[in-house]
Amino acid sequence: MAYKYMLEILAVIAIGVFCALFLYTSSTMSGAEFAGSDNVGSGLIAELSGIPEENFQPLIPQWEPPSGEIESCLFAIQAAVGGILVGGVFGFWIGSKKKA
Amino acid sequence: MHIMEGFLPWQWCLVWWIIALPCLLLGIYRLKKVLGVDREALPLLGVTGGFIFILSSLKLPSVTGSCSHPTGTGLSTISFGPWITAVVCAIVLLFQSLFLAHGGLSVLGANIVSMGIVGPLVGYGVYRLLRDTSLNMYMTVFLVTALADMFTYVTTSLELALAYPAETGGFVSSFILFMGIFAITQVPLAIVEGIVLALVFKYIVALKPDILIRLGIFSEEKIKDARSEI
Repeated sequence: MAYKYMLEILAVIAIGVFCALFLYTSSTMSGAEFAGSDNVGSGLIAELSGIPEENFQPLIPQWEPPSGEIESCLFAIQAAVGGILVGGVFGFWIGSKKKA
Repeated sequence: MHIMEGFLPWQWCLVWWIIALPCLLLGIYRLKKVLGVDREALPLLGVTGGFIFILSSLKLPSVTGSCSHPTGTGLSTISFGPWITAVVCAIVLLFQSLFLAHGGLSVLGANIVSMGIVGPLVGYGVYRLLRDTSLNMYMTVFLVTALADMFTYVTTSLELALAYPAETGGFVSSFILFMGIFAITQVPLAIVEGIVLALVFKYIVALKPDILIRLGIFSEEKIKDARSEI
């Protein structure tokens, strides 16, 4: 029983350490912009190929969210869909277990 | 892990699409089969797929001073194997290419290969190796999840290094450079993701052990052991 909540405790510690690491990096590392690694990767591509980054044009025309707000809204929708699935199913399982 | 639209030459886009398509078709076929046999698999698919939706929408900061997404593919890989996971990932990646300008339609094949195929395949390999050993079930889930996440980013680095070999040192040196950006950023994220999904798996075991046994995901003894521990 002593280990009953071991995974929960581990998860809390891991998330705590993760946050501490973030605070440490963001306060000590100069030039840490926390841009997406996608973008950093694209910078490296431009460097390796010798083609300026702005010359890379989409091969297939692409809609881009007009602002960061709209982008975060759409990301939130994606997470919400996942959350509804997870919460719904767990609820369904708990409900059917109680009934049985 | 996304390669951005336009950043991969069309020849490579084509190569990765050709690899991704048969895997997706196999995944759709397997999905139909699994759901046809056991309708109770559908809620499990909902939970495991739901975590791919949630985790791949989170851009988390990391020690390298840049941000990256976890993939969340571990649970789905363990429960349904890599091919069905590839289908779920394809849906997420399609949403992100159409509406978020993350990735894009031409590079979708490459992104499906890294997040939906190679990562889960590595994870599945680890799962098959460890499933019947005496190793703790949650440790297995942790390793599968963390490695599926890591290898997604190793694959992205590989895809980019193949397309953009460095002038000096060629493929190997640009692979190392891309790994420096993608893989190192990912290490802490993969560890946290592994622990969190192991915890989620604990709740699935507590609520629905019968479906895990019926689908043959872990043996009955192992699940019983795990349940008596918690």
